Amino acid sequence: MKIHNFIRRSASYLITTAGLFATLCMMSHAGHAQSENVPSFATTGHFTVCTDPTLPPMTFVNGQDTRDLAGFDIDLARELGRMWHADPTILTMDFEGMLPGLSSHRCDMVISGIMKQAGREKNYDAAAYLDSSIVVIARSGTPRITSLDDLSGLNVAVQSGTSYATLVEKTNQHLIQSGRAPIGLQQYPAEDQVVQQVLLGRAHALITQDVEVYYRQKQLGGKVTIILKPDNPDFREFGAYISKDPHNKEILTQTVSSLKQQGILENLSRKWNISNAQEQAFTEKAAPSAFSLEVFFSALTSMAFVKGAALTLIVAVLSHLTAIVISIPVALKLNGPRSPLQMLLSAYVAVFRGAPTLLQLLFIWNALPQFFPIFRESWFTPFLATWLSLSINESAYQVEINRAALRAVDQGQLVAADALGMKRSQIYRHVIFPQALRIALPPTINEFISLLKTTSLASVISLQELLAVTQIQVARTFEFTEYYSAALVYYLAMVFFFLFLQKRIERRFSWADRNKATGHGQ
Amino acid sequence: MVSDTAPNPDIRISIRNLNKFYGEFLALDRLSLDIDKGEKIVVLGPSGSGKSTFIRCFNRIEPHDSGTLMIDGQVIDDRTDLATLRGRVGMVFQNYNLFPHLTVLDNCTLAPRLVRGTPREQAEEEARRYLAQVGIGEQAGKYPIQLSGGQQQRVAIARALSMNPEIILFDEPTAALDPEAISGVVAIMEDLAAQQITTICVTHEMGFARRIADRIVFMDKGSILEVAPPQEFFTAPRTERARAFLDQMIQF
Ligand SMILES: Nc1ncnc2c1ncn2[C@@H]1O[C@H](COP(=O)(O)OP(=O)(O)O)[C@@H](O)[C@H]1O
Ligand SMILES: [Mg+2]
Repeated sequence: MKIHNFIRRSASYLITTAGLFATLCMMSHAGHAQSENVPSFATTGHFTVCTDPTLPPMTFVNGQDTRDLAGFDIDLARELGRMWHADPTILTMDFEGMLPGLSSHRCDMVISGIMKQAGREKNYDAAAYLDSSIVVIARSGTPRITSLDDLSGLNVAVQSGTSYATLVEKTNQHLIQSGRAPIGLQQYPAEDQVVQQVLLGRAHALITQDVEVYYRQKQLGGKVTIILKPDNPDFREFGAYISKDPHNKEILTQTVSSLKQQGILENLSRKWNISNAQEQAFTEKAAPSAFSLEVFFSALTSMAFVKGAALTLIVAVLSHLTAIVISIPVALKLNGPRSPLQMLLSAYVAVFRGAPTLLQLLFIWNALPQFFPIFRESWFTPFLATWLSLSINESAYQVEINRAALRAVDQGQLVAADALGMKRSQIYRHVIFPQALRIALPPTINEFISLLKTTSLASVISLQELLAVTQIQVARTFEFTEYYSAALVYYLAMVFFFLFLQKRIERRFSWADRNKATGHGQ
Repeated sequence: MVSDTAPNPDIRISIRNLNKFYGEFLALDRLSLDIDKGEKIVVLGPSGSGKSTFIRCFNRIEPHDSGTLMIDGQVIDDRTDLATLRGRVGMVFQNYNLFPHLTVLDNCTLAPRLVRGTPREQAEEEARRYLAQVGIGEQAGKYPIQLSGGQQQRVAIARALSMNPEIILFDEPTAALDPEAISGVVAIMEDLAAQQITTICVTHEMGFARRIADRIVFMDKGSILEVAPPQEFFTAPRTERARAFLDQMIQF
């Protein structure tokens, strides 16, 4: 009796506790207690999913607002978040940057229409979430082929960094061994460019995923046709990638299969038109496209372009100003007497002038966080990374401009000012700098214009500057000419504005030209 | 003649055993000289003999290494306030070294405003007076590039004057000028002497030296070999080296 009571009391105690606990978990929305079913990276209630939104219908920008992401992968990320009671933050970046992003802990997951493949699973863990098949596509009227070998001697376009390139290379090895001409491989950074090569006739065929083709029917209908659907064990399913961790992998696999059992993945497939039935409709004709002024003007006046251009301008101006601030003391030091610091600074200038800007950007974004974990935190945005790397890079060039300009100022004036009793700082401020400025201005504006265009490289680290915006819109609509033209208008407008500014400023330097100097009449 | 005894505090500038090294190289070798207030000294000597180095010691553009340099009884060394010293000792260069980005007027007002804190209006008023004194008052608004060499050298003199110095150093002020412009500079220097401004001038122009000098200082290889009035120096040089130098100059 006593024992019985004890058990009953304990049981009710347990039930109450459990209920309380569950309530707490729901309130905190984080679910620390459910760590059994939640991967370690999502236990805080947040996780980061990286994606390259240029692969519809898996992941793409829906409409003009570049933050409005859509697609099967985006929905999947949300479903996973729902299962784990965690909020997914979707981070967009260039394809090449994503898997390294797992290593640098910038991304907890990569869901971006990437094939689940043994090669990739050496370094990362993956869970399959959608069956798919590889397809070879050529212009309408091209006869079907029976194997990839039939592409011998022809050009084939693929998206760079994808495993289609590896597939072509494997085929080539085997073609060369059997004495046949290899396939000419053309790699492009975005899928829409790949398609464009086939439409232009520059490539005979392209290799992509069936889902992509279903989605693009409206744009491609009638223009291209599937000429081969090879079965390859490496191209059978899409995988969601995470850092190597058996525990997390187990949970991810379970979560995905439970989504499948609930019919949720099936619903998503239907929502995004991913089904074989769609293959039929593919041959339907589409309206021929010419340059559409309407599309061009709507791009030109879209918020996405205005924001992209503003971001380009802001990051360029900030980077150059920072570069100038860094470069002046460095230039003065390098023009001064020899010292160990001088050797260090010379090395700095040599390295940053020598290394490609793109490499520096990728290094700062992907490699730096591996050395200094502080750069993995969310405050280190693509904007800051771009600002940092372009400032450093530009300062190296600016140092050389400043050195030449400072040297060009006649040393006699330094002595003359000295003999008048002026302090060093006064001499630099009132005598040396105003003259050096005149000499440095034209090359500096040149550098700035060049930098303004270099910012477009920052699209690889997901900065939504003008070119990134353009590419995303092109991937969505396939309206190359209209969007490229709109971007061109923005770039030219910015460049011309600065050239105009240069002319205005140069007028203030008329003292250097006997014919133009305008003394104020006395 | 100069002596090696203690400096006389009544004399404006007093130099005893002044030495200057450039690394190992002895550029000035035990120089001694006394200069009176308002005196016009001309320094002659072959190229590389140390003339520029010597006069640059007066305003410490080139600090000397040993010996004493006194101006108005005040020892000039590393404790001397340079702004004050350079306000008292002005300098004019062969290449004028004007500030090309400033108008003539601003060239003359920059140092008074920055170093002395003179209000702009006052500095401009004084600068105009000096520009008028050197005969180019009407050029005040122009930029240096719009002026001839002679005019630029006058601006340089006005710029030195604008600090109101007691001594002005000239380093080959006429080397880049035509004869007419040289006459102008001679007139200005005589005018300065009349105002009791001491002038120390390095030159290669013998005629110019003869016309303006109270005394000639002849230097060779970092040493002062002769100090004499021009009459005496040009007609009866005492040293072989000076004779050879004068012979050579006459050939040109
Ligand atoms: N900054 C310097 N560093 C090293 N040597 C110098 C420097 N300035 C002048 N000299 C040397 O000192 C000597 C005297 O120079 P300088 O006074 O300019 O002669 P001068 O004006 O009589 O032609 C020359 O041999 C010259 O090479
Ligand atoms: Mg000299």
